[in-house]
Amino acid sequence: METEPRLTRIYAVKTTNRAERSVADNIDKAVRDVHNTIKVMSVIAPDELKGYVLVETTEPLARVQELMEQVPSARTVLPGATSLEEVGHYLTPKPAVSGIDEGTIVELIAGPFKGEKAVVKRVDASKEEITVELYESVLPIPITVRGDHVRIIDRGEDD
Amino acid sequence: MAATKKKQLSVCRECHRVVEGSSCSICGTNNLTTDWTGYLVIIDPEHSDVAKRMNITLPGRYALKVR
Repeated sequence: METEPRLTRIYAVKTTNRAERSVADNIDKAVRDVHNTIKVMSVIAPDELKGYVLVETTEPLARVQELMEQVPSARTVLPGATSLEEVGHYLTPKPAVSGIDEGTIVELIAGPFKGEKAVVKRVDASKEEITVELYESVLPIPITVRGDHVRIIDRGEDD
Repeated sequence: MAATKKKQLSVCRECHRVVEGSSCSICGTNNLTTDWTGYLVIIDPEHSDVAKRMNITLPGRYALKVR
């Protein structure tokens, strides 16, 4: 067994827009190539981090840059490594309803009521759903929508 | 409006693995979902701190969040 220094670094690699997943797959493919000697342990493509993938490796920056030259849609490697502590929060995504409470004013961004403003009446954290009532409807009809289908406009703290 | 050219991949609800067929090759369950976000590729689980943190022991493609 070879002994190697246990020093994993994480580099951010800029990618073409919306190509994060294919870049992650292509890095996997490039690393598994028989001629490749550059070690990469994992690739993270969080949805919150658009246009970048995070590469976990023990290699220095120049070697990662060398690897990225073989990966389609990968652009540049950001100089400077980060650590797992700094990017660890991407591994445990926050629930979609975090920051939404009863009384919060939201705008629906998907579905048949897209563009409508609504007041949150109930939050179901386990299902990540919220029940809202549309602002401009005459009758107060409760509508249940997904937590990630709304954008917060006003948290409704001030009356 | 843009139709997704890519095939929508399924994820196993039990182990969060991205699977191609109609059942998970690891768990054997067919409890799959296409509603997932975040993508993680584990290449070397033995030396990866990310894999340790996520309690992943097998290489492969995983989803970070599964609904």
